[in-house]
Parts: sequence; C-alpha cells; structure tokens
Amino acid sequence: MIRFLLRRTLSTALVLLVVTFVLYLLLDYTLDYFFDLRQSTAPNIGELYEARARLLDLDTPAVVRYFQWLAGASGCLVGMCDLGTAWYLGQDVTSQLPGAIANTIKLVTAATIFAILIGIFIGLVSAIRQYSGFDYFITFLSFLMYSLPVFWVAVLLKQYGAIEFNNFLGDPVVGWGTIITLSVVSGFIWMGALGGSSRRRLYVLIGATVVTFAVVYFILATGWLNSPSLGIVGVGLTGLAAAVVLTYLSTGLENRRALWTSLTVAVVGIGLYMPLQNLFWYVEMSWVWMLLLLVVAIGVGLAVGLAFRGRDPWVSARTGALVAVVMSFFVFVDRMFQGWGDYNQHPAINGRPIATIGAQTPNLSGSFWMTNLDSFTHLLLPSIALILISIASYTRYTRGSMLEVLGQDYIRTARAKGLPERTVVMRHALRNALLPLASVVPVDIITMIGGAVITETIFGWSGMGKLFIDSMNRNELDPIMAYIVITGLLAVVANLVADFLYAVLDPRIRVNA
Amino acid sequence: MSIESRATEGLSQGAIVRRKFLGHKGAMAGLIVLAVIAVFAYSAQGVGPIPGWWIHNHTSSGPVVNPGGAPTWSFANPFAFGEHPFGQDDIGRDNFARVMKGVQISLMVMAIIGLVALVLGTVIGALAGYYRGRLDAFLMRVTDGFIILPTIVVGSILGKLVSGPNFSLFGLSSATYMAPALAVVLGAILWTSLARLVRGEFLALREREFVDSARVAGAGDFRIIVKHMLPNTMGVIIVNTTLLMSQAIVLEAALSFLGFGIRAPQVSLGQLINEYQSAFASRPWLFWWAGLFIILIALCVNFIGDGLRDAFDPRMKTVPSLRKMNRAERRAGRGGTQQKTAAQSTTTATAPRPDTDARASGPDSGDTGDEPGSTGKGASH
Amino acid sequence: MATQRETQQEEPLQKDVILSVRDLGVRFWVNDEWMTAAEGLTYDVRKGEVLAIVGESGSGKSQSSMSLMGLVPKNGRASGSARLDGRELIGMREDQMQKVRGNDISVIFQEPMTALNPVYTAGFQISETLRVHNVMGPREAKEEALRLLRLVEMPDPEERYDSFPHQLSGGQRQRVMIAQALACEPRLLIADEPTTALDVTVQAEILKLMRDLREKVDAGIILITHDMGVVADMADRILVMKQGRVVEEGTATQIFTDPQHEYTKQLLAAVPHLGSRSEERAFGSGAENLEYVDDLAAISLESNDTYEHPGGRIQIDNAALKLAGASIEYPAVGRKKAFRAAKAIDLQIAPGEVVGLVGESGSGKTTIGRASVGLIPVVEGSLTVGGVEIAGKTNKQLRDVRKTVGFVFQDPGSSLNPRLPVGESIGEPMYLHEGLKGPALSSRVEELLDSVELPRSMRNRYPHEFSGGQRQRIGIARALALKPRLLIADEPTSALDVSVQDRVLALFRNLQEEYGFACLFISHDLAVVEMVASRIAVMRHGHLLEVGPSADVVAAPRHPYTQRLLAAVPVPDPVEQRRRREARDALIVSGSEDLAG
Repeated sequence: MIRFLLRRTLSTALVLLVVTFVLYLLLDYTLDYFFDLRQSTAPNIGELYEARARLLDLDTPAVVRYFQWLAGASGCLVGMCDLGTAWYLGQDVTSQLPGAIANTIKLVTAATIFAILIGIFIGLVSAIRQYSGFDYFITFLSFLMYSLPVFWVAVLLKQYGAIEFNNFLGDPVVGWGTIITLSVVSGFIWMGALGGSSRRRLYVLIGATVVTFAVVYFILATGWLNSPSLGIVGVGLTGLAAAVVLTYLSTGLENRRALWTSLTVAVVGIGLYMPLQNLFWYVEMSWVWMLLLLVVAIGVGLAVGLAFRGRDPWVSARTGALVAVVMSFFVFVDRMFQGWGDYNQHPAINGRPIATIGAQTPNLSGSFWMTNLDSFTHLLLPSIALILISIASYTRYTRGSMLEVLGQDYIRTARAKGLPERTVVMRHALRNALLPLASVVPVDIITMIGGAVITETIFGWSGMGKLFIDSMNRNELDPIMAYIVITGLLAVVANLVADFLYAVLDPRIRVNA
Repeated sequence: MSIESRATEGLSQGAIVRRKFLGHKGAMAGLIVLAVIAVFAYSAQGVGPIPGWWIHNHTSSGPVVNPGGAPTWSFANPFAFGEHPFGQDDIGRDNFARVMKGVQISLMVMAIIGLVALVLGTVIGALAGYYRGRLDAFLMRVTDGFIILPTIVVGSILGKLVSGPNFSLFGLSSATYMAPALAVVLGAILWTSLARLVRGEFLALREREFVDSARVAGAGDFRIIVKHMLPNTMGVIIVNTTLLMSQAIVLEAALSFLGFGIRAPQVSLGQLINEYQSAFASRPWLFWWAGLFIILIALCVNFIGDGLRDAFDPRMKTVPSLRKMNRAERRAGRGGTQQKTAAQSTTTATAPRPDTDARASGPDSGDTGDEPGSTGKGASH
Repeated sequence: MATQRETQQEEPLQKDVILSVRDLGVRFWVNDEWMTAAEGLTYDVRKGEVLAIVGESGSGKSQSSMSLMGLVPKNGRASGSARLDGRELIGMREDQMQKVRGNDISVIFQEPMTALNPVYTAGFQISETLRVHNVMGPREAKEEALRLLRLVEMPDPEERYDSFPHQLSGGQRQRVMIAQALACEPRLLIADEPTTALDVTVQAEILKLMRDLREKVDAGIILITHDMGVVADMADRILVMKQGRVVEEGTATQIFTDPQHEYTKQLLAAVPHLGSRSEERAFGSGAENLEYVDDLAAISLESNDTYEHPGGRIQIDNAALKLAGASIEYPAVGRKKAFRAAKAIDLQIAPGEVVGLVGESGSGKTTIGRASVGLIPVVEGSLTVGGVEIAGKTNKQLRDVRKTVGFVFQDPGSSLNPRLPVGESIGEPMYLHEGLKGPALSSRVEELLDSVELPRSMRNRYPHEFSGGQRQRIGIARALALKPRLLIADEPTSALDVSVQDRVLALFRNLQEEYGFACLFISHDLAVVEMVASRIAVMRHGHLLEVGPSADVVAAPRHPYTQRLLAAVPVPDPVEQRRRREARDALIVSGSEDLAG
C-alpha cells in the first residue's frame, strides 16, 4: 500500500519535472520581455533593450537558465527557497507567494467541500427518483451548469449577488407575487425530491409551500436580513429537528435509545447556550478555542450515547456526536449573527456587506467574530461561482454511479435480507457508489484551480490564479513557473489523497496492495 | 431475451443507435437549435467573400440609434426588430452583427478542436491500448503531464504563444490564422482525456473473444484495429468528442475573456464579453447576448452528447412509462386483456426469430425485461 | 394446464403446508405492452420438503419465486395468491414485506461473488441480517453469526468472519450466503441456482451441506435450477416449467422414471448421462467401485504426475496436435507477473480423433487450447500443429498454421464481432487466407450455413439478433470455413441450455464425421466430453493428471482427483444419484478440505 502510494507519487513528481522543463522553454519563447519598450520613443531605447537583456540574462541559453532556476527551486527542499524574481515589479517570487497560496487554498477548499456535499446529495436523490420530473429537472440543471462559462457567471454574481443585493438590503421589500411564486416553486422541488404516492406528494407540496411562505414572510417582516439572529429559540428548534432527522437517517426512528440520545444531546446544547454566550463575551475567541469547544461537544455527544447503554451503545454515541456537531455549528452561526449588526454598521462596510473585491476589507479590525464575518462575506461570491461550475459534475457522477450500483446483485441481496430501503441506499448502495468518485475528486480539484484563475481575476482575489494572470500580462517568467510548480504539487497531493481515500474505502485494494 | 430483441429485430447496430438517438427528445431539440444557430450565424454574416443578408457587419460603426445604443426591437404595435435588435456598443457597432460573427468563429474553433482532439485521441489511444507495453506507459505519462495542470493554464500559455509577437505562420497576418491556430493548439491539449478512454476501451476489447477469433481467422494487426476494434469503440469516441466540444467552446471563451485567445479586432463570443465586461452596468445587452449564445451552444452540444451516449449504450432501453403501465393495468383489470405472453410470442415465431435458449447472461435473466439500474423497490402491487 | 397427478394420498397432511401458491402470475411492462413471464402457477411447499422448479432460461422460474418476496423489478407486476402460513404475500405492504424478507423467507442467490457486498465483511453481512430482524447487540449477533458459520462448516469461522468477500473462495462465499439465509430461521428458503456458478467438486460439497442442513432446519425449500443432476440429488417434488407455465408436477421418482409431458421427456433425454457410452457403469455408482477406490491409495491426491491408462498415449508421427513437455505462460502485463498456466504437458491428438480435455476453473485447459493457435506463447517444450512448430513464432509466421486450425469459442455472444453481419464473420477466414471475394465467397458462406443447419437468409443479420444456440452454430461454421485439420472447441456448449446443448452436440458429431477433423474438446462437464471424445485428459492447476480412453477414465479413474471429479457429477436419476452420493460423501470425508476451493 505504502509502496504503491510512494511509486505513484514519485512518478507524478517526475512528470511534473518534465512539465516544468517543457513549459519553461515554451514560456521563454512566448513571453515578450520587451513588451513595455515596444511603443517607447525614448532616445536611449537601444540601451534600455540591452539593460533588459542583461537583467534577464537572455544571452544565456534557455536550457541553462532552466537548470539555474531548477537549482534555486530545489533549494526549497532544504529551506533555502529561490524561485527567482518578478522582474517587472522587482519583487522576489518567494515574497509574493505565501499570501497568494493561502488565499487560493481557502477559496478552493471551501468551494470543493461544498460542491462535493451538495453534488453528492442532489445526485443521490436524483438517482433514487430516476425518470421522475425531479430527475429530469436536475439533469437539465446540471447540463446548464456544465455549459455556463465561469467568467460570465462571476460577472453576473458581482452585479446581482453583490451590488444589487446590497442595494436590496438597504430597503428589503419584496412583492407578494415574488414571495408566492418562490413558495410554490420550492413546494414543487420538495415534492419531486421526496416523491411517493400521489397523496403524499400533495401533502409535501402544500406543506413545503406553506413553510417556505412562512419563513420568507418572517424574514422580511422582522427585518431579519439586517439583524439576523437565531437566539436560544432558533438554536433549540433547529437542534431538536436535527436530532430527529439525523436519527432517522443514521439508525431509523425505531431505535429508541438513539432517538433519546440525540434528543438529550439537543437539550444539553440548549442548556449550554447561555453559559457559552458568557464565555464568548468574556474571553477573546480564536479558532483554537472553536476547535476545543467542538471536541468537547463531540465528547458530550458520545458520552450521552454511551450513558444510554442498550445493546448497541456505539450507534447511539455516533448519532449523539453528530447531533452535537450540528448544535455547535448553529451556536457558532448564532454568535456570528450577533456580530452582524456591528459589522454592517462599521464605517468600512457602510451597509454594503457583500464584497466584490479582494479577500478582506482593508482598515477593518475587530474581534474574532468580526474578521471571520468579513472573510465570509468576501469568500461568498467567488465560492458560489466555483461551486456552481463544479457541482454539476459531482451530481452527474453520483447519479450515474448510484444507478449502476443499485442494479447490482448485492443490492437485491440486501433487499432480500429484509433491510429497510433507507439502509439499502445509505449503507449498501451509497458506500459503493462513492468509490469511483474518489478518482473524480482530484481531477475536479485541478479543474477548480483552473476556474479559480478566472474567479480570482474577476473578484480581485489576490490568490495564485490572479498572480498567474498578472504575471502573464507582465511577461514575468519566474512567478509563472512558481505557479506551475505549486499547482502541480497541489495536483500531486490531491491525487495522493484520492488514492489513499480509495484504498481506505475499498477493501479490495486495501488488503491486496 | 425474446422480449427485448423484438424491438430490434432486423436492424443493424447502426440502425438501432440511429433510432434511439432520433427518439431522444433532448438531443433532437439540441440538434435543431444548434443547426438553426449555425445557419443563422453563417447566413447573416456570410462566409469569406460571400456576403450575408444582415445589413451591418461586425466592424462598421454607424450612428447610435437608441440612447446608449439600446436594442431597437419593440413588442409594441407593430412588432419590429428595428435596425439594431441586439443593440449597439459605445462606438455604434451593431451588436447583432458582432454576436453572429462571434458565433461563427466560436463554432469554427469548436469544430477544429473537436477534429484535432478526435484524430489525436483516437490514434494514440488505439495504439496504446492495442500494443500496450512501453508505448502505453509513455502515453500515460504524457497524459499525466497534461492532467496535472488545469487546461486553462496550459491554454493561456499556448494562446499567448500563438497570438504573441514571436510566433508567425509563414509570414501570414495574424488575423488570418489566429482562430484556427488557437483551435489546433487547444485541440492538442484536449485530446488526452479521449485518448485515455479509447485506450481503456481497447484494453477491454482485446480481452473479447471476437478479437482472438479474428486473429485465429488470420487477420493482421491493422485489420483487427480498423475493422474489428474501432467500430466497436465508435460509441465512446463519438460521445466523448461531442462532450469535449462543449468543453472546448467554453474554454475558448474563457481564454478570449482572459485576453489569451481571440483578440480584437477579431471577434469571438468570449472576446466580446471581455471587451464589454466593464460596460455591464451601462450597456448590459452587450454582455447578455454573447453569454447567452455561449450557453446555448454548449447546452445543445451537451444534450446531443447525452443523446448519443444513451443511444450507444447497449444497456439503455426505452424508459418504461410507469403512468402508461398503470393505465394499461387498469384496463387489463377491467377485462380488456390484450397482453401477449412470452410463450405465445416465441412459439408463434417464424424460423429466424431468436428462440429462448441462451443462458449466456445467466439463467432466467432473459425474461425480466428490466431496464438497467432500475431502482425497483419490488413493488408488487 | 398443468399435468396434475393423483399424489395427494402420499403427501403429508395439509397442516404442514408452509407456502400455498395459487394461480401466481408475473408480468412485465415492455415496449408499451404487458409480457407474461409466468402465469397460472399453483403449488404447495411443505415443511422440510424440497420443491424443485426446473426449466430452461426464460421459463419464468426465477421471477415467479422472487415475486413471493415482492422482489420483482419496477416494471413487473405479480398477480394471483401466495400464502405463507396463511398470510397473503402478493400485494403485501412494503413495510410488512420487509419483515417477511430475510426473516420468514430468505434466498440463496446464484453468484455469491456479486451477491455479497464487496465492501463489507462476511461477518458483518450475516450479523446485519440478524440484527435487522431481532433485538440483538453487536456482540450477540457476532456470536450467532459465528454459530451459523460453524453450521455451514466454514473452515476457520473466526478468521472468515472478518474476511471480505474477495478474500473467500467461491465455495466459501456460497457458505456465507447460506449462513446469511439461515440466520433468522426462515420458514421458506428459496435457493436460486445455488450451485450453478461453482466448480463441480465444490458444487458437490455445497449440495452435501444443503442436504445436511435440511435435516437440521425444518424450512420448506424451493430449489430453482436448470440442472437435472442437482434436482435428482436434492428434490422431493418437482415442478417443470416451460415458457412461463407449469407443464408437469410430481414427485422426483415419478418425474425421472415416468415423465408424462413431452417437454419433460425431451428435457430428460437431452441431459448427457455420465457413463452413457461405456460398457461399465460410471465410477462410483456401485458398491464394487467403492472398494476399488480403496485399492488405489497408491497415488496421492496431491500428486501432479500424469497417469496414463493403457491406450492413453498414442505415438504417431503425423499427429494433428502434439504437446511435448509444453509449458505455457500468460505474459507479464505491467506489474502483473507472468503466470504459468500449464506446466510440462505431454499430449497428442491423432488425425480425425476427438480428445476431451477436462478440468475445473483455473486448471489450464483453456490455456492449452489458446496456445494451440498461438494466442498464448509456449515458453518451454514444443507444441506442433500438423507437424509445424508453434513455440516461438510471431503472429505473421503463424498465419499459415492458423489456416489449418479452427477455433470454437466458449461465449457465443462475445466471439462474434457485434458490428459485422454474421455472413461477413463467417467469410472472413476465407477472405483473408484464400482471397475469396464476391459470389465465390457468398456461395461458400451459404454452404457453411447449410452445414450448420441455419437458413441462408440469415447471413445479413447481426449477432445480437441470434439466440445463443444459433450464435454457437455460426461460431462453428466460421471455425470450419477453411476445412481445418484440427478444431479446438473451448467449452462450446457451456453457455447453452441442455436441450440446445444436445442439438449443438449432435451437430458437432455429424460435422466431425463429415469433415473428419481432429478435435481438442475442452469442457468442465465430464458427461459432455464423454459423449464426444474417444480419449479424455484430466487437468488440475496446470498439470495433466490422467489420460486414457473415455470409457476407461469414466469407469475406472486412477487419479484420486479424477475420482472426486467423477463422483461429484450429479446424474439425473435419483436412485443412481443416491448411490453415487454415498460414494461421493465417503470421498469428501476421507479427503481433506484442500480442494474445497
């Protein structure tokens, strides 16, 4: 296993080396080092050309320069990085990189995680409802998303997701027609997704329409958008709902002990709400604190599950822990919401919270909550652009793979054993259907990095992609090479993780290799 | 077996595929829309020296008709397109003419990319899959090399190369070769995924007995590849070339948008969006139309690809309509039985009808008539 | 409709009836009309009784049984009535049906490799069944699962509990399947072709296990199979189905000794009987043979030496096929190491002679066939066809040799190019070797179609339009196109139903007489080989174990492995099969588990 991974990594690394060589020569041929001098009418133009050639060492053959560059780059392995200079700006590439890498990774990771989760979920439902109206709707939608140019979406998002939406926040009024249309559409979507007999579908349609209407009305009537909050009531209700839903999905409601466990965890969460608010008030928070609190929450969930004992305590404990995670998330969201008013009123924001440019607001300093809200509002639009583009492929893959698996003999066996449909789908089908997805993820991450080139450029997100485009426009070779190496390494890592995941998920590989 | 083969009796594989494809509503819609767009774009702006029927062309500027160059069509009585139905830009160029020219260029680029990738991918994939060994290993490394970098990055570099000052093609002016050259270069990037698929298909086909059978019959490598294996790979090749073309048009647009593809004064759909993106707030029509056509073309190609995939997939059967089924059942319940039994349909068969004697796919699998991947929950009521 | 008989008096009392099926039918919605897969099924299953449902593919035997559990595909509908202990199963609500499945009715499926979920351990899958129907903690479930694994005589149950399906052999997987089916002590057990995917010796063990379990659990068993031998081995009563209807029903003895319906008679007549061609009875069917077994302890079961019967070896110069110390290797591909599939084989075939090559899966029998036309390289020794050496030749050099050899492939579905009309496939060898074209080629193709008894008009059709039997005829026609001196037939009938197999074998024998080619007939089925071959060679794990005239090998096998192989073949005659079974069980007990697969 380890040997297999090592061999894979080594061979990809070698390929990467060859790629850098080829691209170095190609770039050297492509880039116009004198682009800023072409139109110049300066009298000493000849000298300027010569100085430029001397600066970039153009008399040395490109192959030799490649190896010089490679020598500097391989210094990174021993902590003495020399990735060359961005000659136009006169900066060291190594000084340009750290912030850019962090920003890109932030963007791509957030988008990947959401795209995978949402894509798998939609694909799963679409497969279970094969040939239904919902399935056709999702199929059409995913083709549409395949066809969307990311730059076009990004420009639209900038206009409607940020500028218009910020205007809307200034005076949030929506017409009755819009609200009712929205409610009915959501009713139909839920109906298609849940399916069932015609009576059940009717109930779902009516129920979902009414609930959506009520929620939208509540949000608008209370001015919730400008001072959002969940409060102890909201956190409590969502927690209890999560407890029931999670129990249903993981063990089924017949497992009373699991149900009691998750409900208890939810109640404990409600009880801890006020003490936590005090903690947040008196102590300056950080991600370390958050992580710590999450671990505590999971511990509580597990402990409650085990305390209920029964025949199978670990199943209860697992459900309890899941509920605890969800509760923690909502408490976190609630606290973020509490900071929303301050953030929105901040002079640097000035009532226009959704950002269109950059990764953070300049001149904004504040608490842990404030800075996180700020980076969230900046992350929002570029992430949506990326998610929209890559969600379609996950949906299609999950759907196809799921349908393939559902036709397998072992699914028939699972049904013949008398397992409930939920277990057949979640335990027997989904697990197998996710296997091929492991090889899709790295490819998609690379595509996503490519998409980031465009989104970063449009949203002024100073990450690797923007660095690449800017350096291309400035005809700077070294930063482009740095981009290629780092993207390539990311790809190598993504592949490695995928291989590893695959091996973990598929016993046929784990044991044999 | 007897039940399913009834539908395909007397048809060659090609005829079955054609029939399934023609029956695919999405694909047919895509095909028709795409054809209309292509005819419209080429006839409106003309091809080469042949002039088109539209009054403006994509470079000439005229007086701005509506304030700001807004579209001139009106739904008020009487309905009229006006002089500039898609609007005009700030210097009075007709947006309809520019978009149609852009569609022409984008379609051409898409077709060339498809062709280049098709040829490279098929030939290289087939050779690697058939001969395996070193050639195969080398090919896999090469595709690895293409895969570790996003296509848009490699595309940008090559696009810059083609449109850069250091590049020249027999001393021609860059306007004449830029679009085709860009297309060829992009095709040379995009062939790898197709090559991998063709290779995989060939590796699988090699294990099929009819390939051994052909070899025993005395067929040489060339004949086996061309006559026996390639026809059986056509499905994969056609489907994936189509899907690749839908990627290609979006990629071309993205590169032109970034400034590394088609550049002014040449137009393409991506280039138009690039040129007009800053005018979005003031002249949104310049932005909308170009984007709409990119999406429309890509969507059509995607639907055609989907239809082809279904048509070539031997496991895909026509979708059983549950509603029809229930209706028929109700009718049968009322006594109007028009059901046919498998027994009758086989015993009354004339000589060449397949009989029910094959166990090839496992005992009793023949009589299910089940579509693959049926999620049948076993509803027996 | 069905030929019911007056058997009521002999049967146990009505109160023992577990399942009572009345007028059961299954229909499928295909191409906008209803197709009937089965109809008018009426039968009872009693406690502790094995009811065999026999029929060829497409007879609706599987689908009708699956409909008892509500497991028909979405586009299928069941009608009629089926009562399990008085509860109606047809049209039962899904949530109630879930409690019946696995608990009251359970199934043993045909292909244990695909019927077990590859990502969960064998133990987990058994425990899961237990826990879904019983209130049971993980530890109890494991205890119970281990008990079940011991019940199905799984070697090393503790270790196997944590094994994934791919780590188990075919026989072991089927044991897991059976353990899982027995987990909740079902009232009714449906065994859907439980041994079809297994090698014959493994099949014998599983059959023995199922017979033993029958004594221990008092469930009613529905055995679905196409194999009359298996039926003779297991069944108390038999239901014969044809094209969705029951044509005959009766006790096992009645059906086998006195079949009434024409179809049943045909079916029984089509089954090849072991020992049908020899003067003596096949090995293991009489007490005297059993003693004979004991005399032969001289060769150990593990021995890889070749035992030659008198007359087993021929020495001629113009052998049609001659292997002398030939070893054959699948070449290394990528990181997969080369695999030696046949080791130091000595075998000759005289012109015009048919030699049967028998072995279980992985024995290397197919390897020898493929090497004989140069598809796999011979790495040691020599292999000559009609006096021409094949070892070490390239594809091009082999062209002339291939002119004299025909090859009939196992899978008639895969051996014809789906994109070529069959006429073109048949004509290809003549086009390539003799340069025949146009009308000359046409008339030859038509002659060949005549000789395999297919209408000439079919030459323009595509392979997918033919049935399995017809495709195999086309395969034979193609192999005979160049009038070869040697024909390699690689399991030519193993994918076919018995009645079709019978017709294809008859055709084969006629053609062999007419064309007079020598033939290497490869098969896993001893009864089939015995019918066509004058000599039989037996292989295991790449070694040739025994060669001899057919009658001798069948009646007096010398190698213990051949004995086991012969003893394991169930014959379609309940009385004889009982005798053979006793002999077989004695062998299995005396032998080790090493061949348990």
